Amino acid sequence: MNWDPTPSKTGVSRRSFLAAGAAGATLATSGCVGHVRNVVGKAVSGQLSLSIATIPADADRQSVQIARRLEANLQQVGIDVSIDMRSPSELLKAVLIERDFDLYVGHHPAGYDPDFLYEMLHSSFAAEAGWQNPFGFTNMVFDTLLEDQRRAEGEQRKRLVQSVLTALAKSKPFDPICLPDEYRVASTDRFDGWSEADLTTRHGYLEPEPADGVDELLALKTDSRPTSNLNPLSATMRERDTIIPLLFDSVATVHEGEVQQWLAEDITWTNVEPADGEQGPVLTATIALREGCRFHADERLASEDEQLSDEDRRLTAEDVAFTYRFLEDTSLGRAPTPSPAPRYQSHVSAVDRVTVDSEYELTFSMNASRPVAKRALTVPILPKRFWRELVDERAADGEFTAPQGRWIAATGDHVPPIGSGPFQFESRTEEDQLVLTRFDDHFTLREDVELPGPPVDELRFEIDPSSASAVRRIGDGNADVTASMLDADVLDEIPDTSDIETLSHPSRTFYHIGFNVRNAPFSNTHFRHAVTQLIPKQAIVDDIFYGHATPTATPVPDEWVPERLAWDGEDPVTPFLGSSGRLNVEAAKAAFETAGFRYDDNGRLLGGY
Amino acid sequence: MLDEVLTQLALVISILVPVSVVVFIGRERLARTRSEWRSRLRTAGPVIAVLIGVLLINRIARQTAPELSRQIGFRLSGAFYELEGEFILIFQSIQTPETTAYFSTIYVYGYTFLLIFPVIAYFTLSDTRIFRRLLTAYALNYAIGLVLYILVIAYGPRNLMPAELMERMLYDTNPQYQYLTREVNTNTNVFPSLHTSLSATVAAFAWKTRSEFPKWFPIAVVLAASVAISTMYLGIHWGIDVVAGTMLAAACVVLSDRLVGRWSVAELSEQLVDRLPWPQKQE
Repeated sequence: MNWDPTPSKTGVSRRSFLAAGAAGATLATSGCVGHVRNVVGKAVSGQLSLSIATIPADADRQSVQIARRLEANLQQVGIDVSIDMRSPSELLKAVLIERDFDLYVGHHPAGYDPDFLYEMLHSSFAAEAGWQNPFGFTNMVFDTLLEDQRRAEGEQRKRLVQSVLTALAKSKPFDPICLPDEYRVASTDRFDGWSEADLTTRHGYLEPEPADGVDELLALKTDSRPTSNLNPLSATMRERDTIIPLLFDSVATVHEGEVQQWLAEDITWTNVEPADGEQGPVLTATIALREGCRFHADERLASEDEQLSDEDRRLTAEDVAFTYRFLEDTSLGRAPTPSPAPRYQSHVSAVDRVTVDSEYELTFSMNASRPVAKRALTVPILPKRFWRELVDERAADGEFTAPQGRWIAATGDHVPPIGSGPFQFESRTEEDQLVLTRFDDHFTLREDVELPGPPVDELRFEIDPSSASAVRRIGDGNADVTASMLDADVLDEIPDTSDIETLSHPSRTFYHIGFNVRNAPFSNTHFRHAVTQLIPKQAIVDDIFYGHATPTATPVPDEWVPERLAWDGEDPVTPFLGSSGRLNVEAAKAAFETAGFRYDDNGRLLGGY
Repeated sequence: MLDEVLTQLALVISILVPVSVVVFIGRERLARTRSEWRSRLRTAGPVIAVLIGVLLINRIARQTAPELSRQIGFRLSGAFYELEGEFILIFQSIQTPETTAYFSTIYVYGYTFLLIFPVIAYFTLSDTRIFRRLLTAYALNYAIGLVLYILVIAYGPRNLMPAELMERMLYDTNPQYQYLTREVNTNTNVFPSLHTSLSATVAAFAWKTRSEFPKWFPIAVVLAASVAISTMYLGIHWGIDVVAGTMLAAACVVLSDRLVGRWSVAELSEQLVDRLPWPQKQE
């Protein structure tokens, strides 16, 4: 390591030390296969060869163009590069589950709070499959910073997050490229109030107000994965949750960047003094759930050999406590090794213990400060009966293994899904449409609840092939809103008429290049540095996003970014080696040589070093 | 949206076909067809059944093949791109709004017409052999194409170079056509180009029947060549797919000659009867 991160006051925590050690040991053995492949790959010519994984333009026009820019520049510095194009779910499978990649171009959903970085980078997750640490990055000092920021609040937390960002910019397990502007279009013919509705959150589909006689909302989605899989645990079937929060409730919900009560009627926070600087809980949340909430009617919730009764469908504190336990170990302790869900690990790792106090009351012991603890309350609540039975069935024959991220709980399609959310599953046609209907028993429809409820009888998501065709359909008045974020190339061509409204949301998601740091050459920080200097971020924003994005050196919005990392026309840590998007090949090659790499007489970068 | 596109397509075809029938076929053949159509259908029946069978299998395979393909297929997008690079961008030199409109029309309407018309034309020939050969060649194209689609997972150029192709990509200029093409195919099925192979098949048959349909031959060749170019011009296929499509067409034309008339239904059913272990015979 060539950087000198801010030493933390508490020093390296025992937890992170153990985690890094364990992860390192697992990685040392799991990396063997990749290593053999690399050795074989090099034996042919000695030239270093890499493969950039990305998704086709049909799924995302920008990613593949970024990949090709990088490919061209890597080729110029003498590396043998190929593009490995996969469908979105297959890319996520290769990166998140199988960890079989060199580098990839991705679009990360991020989150309203920078704690998503804990999940992305903490060593304790390096050996797990899922959204948690796909890079295989392990660094004890880094872990301490990530842990400390979760336990701090206010200005102190901000400073710690800034240290995380600085350390990240230096060590580069991934390199953020830009925060894209997020736009959608809506037709104002049949609904009002689009501008207040944030379609990236649960509220988005609850707030639009239908005109008289309108009882259906038709939304166009370009990603067809939700028509084939609605499993809230699936790592590969979605990047960001937009439909899941309609089908499932959570204890709290995010609205306008704030966490609000949702299933919880009341949340009482109590600070706890950890004893002697130990890593115990620092906060408890006593939660009173809304009484009488129910899951959607589904025969699979019925008690044995009986008709489904309202009693079976009740959502109680037991279900909430179960959900957190289940996400932490989907085998419920019955498999030889625990099997954490391939999602929500940043959420559940903030929770130390959940105690059920009564039918509708429970207490969360959190090892994190309030902002992070609140975020932990936003996971989808699952019906205990259904998921426990799934585990029971599998474990019945005694030979139960639950390969983490790869067993049925995480990979099953879960259609129809059983949630308790404001909309329930009605039907789907794969690759074509998903129909949800209003859940009449939902608490938001109660008179004494001041939250927006499902505004229409039917919410239909139709799969439309592209942003261009979706915008056209909205313009023709054939649909109400585009549910997917629009590709950058259509943004300048949105018709300027009164019956189309352009909706913009704050940019939080980010495009990035991710590196597999488990294997050579990306295990070498110097090499990663040299590669990131081949990425013309400003030119990418100008040419590929048509200016509808903000180039960045950090994966979070401005308010968290320290001045030293602010974008000043150039990446402050790893500036592009060239100008106006054109690479200075000599300078770039020199950077690789400085990083300890050698060239042969034909200008090819050699793999063995 | 799909309905709209389909209606338009049906409308255009329903105008083109009758006009072509008058221009290329002639009254005499039509008159004879009126009196002979039953017997011709009878002779061609088995081949028609085979073609319909293949098309049905293709339809069903749309659901199941992608999964199988993911398991056993070779991912070749990167390899194709590495092999031919930005070859198809040479068409940039002829790019104008007019050529884009021409090739888009050819890709959707020209192709459909090119496939349908010879079926009608060859049915009006007294000797049904060429008709049966054409249908056999169609069936072979689809059957072999399906196998190759399962074995090869590749995205077309438009999925790799969206920006370079932007102005002339079919789906950018005419997004509505996507509703049609996604009914027919998925975006990883590019090798080989079935548009090219079927068009080339039609052109080859047009050459064989140039004495019967002298006016059709040049039209078919121009249309077929336009279709092949359109697939590259519009960024849908790689040059490799088009070459493979042409080779597939050649193979199908030759095979159709070998296969048609090889078995008669009567003989086959006799053989089948002999082979089946009827219960009576065991007594």
